[in-house]
Amino acid sequence: MTAPRALSLLCELTYRCNLACPYCYNPLDLRRFRDELTTAEWSRVLAEAAAMGVVQVHFSGGEPLLRTDLYELIAAAHGAELYANLITQGTFLDDAAADRLLAAGLDHVQISIQAPDEGLADWIAGARVHARKLDALRRIAGRNVALTLNCVLHHDNHDSVDAVIALAERLGVGRLELANVQFYGWAFRNRSALVPTREQIRRTGAAVDAARGRLRGRMEIVYVASDYFSDFPKPCMNGWGSTFLTVAPNGDVLPCPAASAISGMRFDNVREGSLATIWAESEAFQRYRGTGWMPEPCRSCARREIDWGGCRCQAFLVAGDAGLTDPACSLSPHHARLQALHE
Amino acid sequence: MNASERPRLGRGVRLRREGDGSAMLLVPEGALMLNGTAAATLELLDGHRTVGDIAGALAERFDVDVERAQRETGELLQRLAERRFVELP
Ligand SMILES: C[S@@+](CC[C@H](N)C(=O)[O-])C[C@H]1O[C@@H](n2cnc3c(N)ncnc32)[C@H](O)[C@@H]1O
Ligand code: SF4
Ligand code: SF4
Repeated sequence: MTAPRALSLLCELTYRCNLACPYCYNPLDLRRFRDELTTAEWSRVLAEAAAMGVVQVHFSGGEPLLRTDLYELIAAAHGAELYANLITQGTFLDDAAADRLLAAGLDHVQISIQAPDEGLADWIAGARVHARKLDALRRIAGRNVALTLNCVLHHDNHDSVDAVIALAERLGVGRLELANVQFYGWAFRNRSALVPTREQIRRTGAAVDAARGRLRGRMEIVYVASDYFSDFPKPCMNGWGSTFLTVAPNGDVLPCPAASAISGMRFDNVREGSLATIWAESEAFQRYRGTGWMPEPCRSCARREIDWGGCRCQAFLVAGDAGLTDPACSLSPHHARLQALHE
Repeated sequence: MNASERPRLGRGVRLRREGDGSAMLLVPEGALMLNGTAAATLELLDGHRTVGDIAGALAERFDVDVERAQRETGELLQRLAERRFVELP
């Protein structure tokens, strides 16, 4: 099938990080990604992305502020009229960094915290960093740039959700993202410790609904549900190879940030080909694009263009084959395996 | 939204025109395709023009009556304000 227009590029600048969150979705085996793209190579990626119609670029990782050329890359994105978003845990976001990010033309910053209170947050992060992260949040909230506060929710911090919302209000952030942990990378490895209870999911859902009503127009709350507790899967990546692409630190181009875990799948690299060609023609992108690849029960399902069969990486991790219906779907023959985790 | 308000695009929100004349609203974590009226409306937001001014300009441009333009412009901006894509100074 012919390739649709890619709109959004995730640049995973590095997988290096000074924290050790047990919920991190980054890959476990980092050897393959150690040879990071240079500044010139990333700049070329950004120029190619703009030329092929991409409109938004997300700089993430690992911790993107560990790349000293981050400012230069944001400026390159801005110069190419790409909307530039930075996703960071904020431990390196001092005044000088904030000045340089804004001067480079950054449009939006997302800063994550591990929990609302210091003891729990530092315990989850594996380092004493919460106070510094709060400083970063205050620093950015006081400047002329859009800010989202992100907190990944799992068994150990679900019960703090009201305090996370209260903290977001105190900081005056315009947007709060409460994301249930998605089970990839380290999170998949640690899933039995991280999985929330059904009661936690229910209470958090109610807390989010109440807060949304109360804060309408002042703060937007984005709530990312847990597909382990839904009957149908998430429309992962809005369909494989439909709008999103990810470039890993070593230049591999991935249809989903978690896709490098799919063993046996080959990814083309920006060092050997153009981003546009890889997007349109590479085997990895073609493999699950559209609906032609679908097995039953997806093939004859009325929801196939709503959720696109769910997540390929989750099908691989839980059912052993990326080409199967996402086991988060109640119609999947492997659904019980996923349910076994929390029942 | 009242006719006397002076809205502008929210922080981290950008209007983008494509080569073919279509428009998108770029927001944190996403891009929304805009129809012609929405794009024309958002293009006029600058924090100085009132909703009334904007509706007046749109009524003229699209040849619809002012009352209807007032109502529809107010509704559109209200919806966008709830998601913080539009804000009041
Ligand atoms: C992998 S991190 C990289 C950026 C930075 N190191 C940070 O943690 O903020 C990207 C974003 O994904 C979130 N995140 C990490 N692991 C996740 C998971 N398993 N499920 C959902 N979100 C996750 C983080 O909170 C952060 O907002
Ligand atoms: S989630 Fe972010 S801060 Fe935490 S270990 Fe992963 S990359 Fe580092
Ligand atoms: S069978 Fe496939 S298309 Fe139907 S709901 Fe489940 S995952 Fe979605």
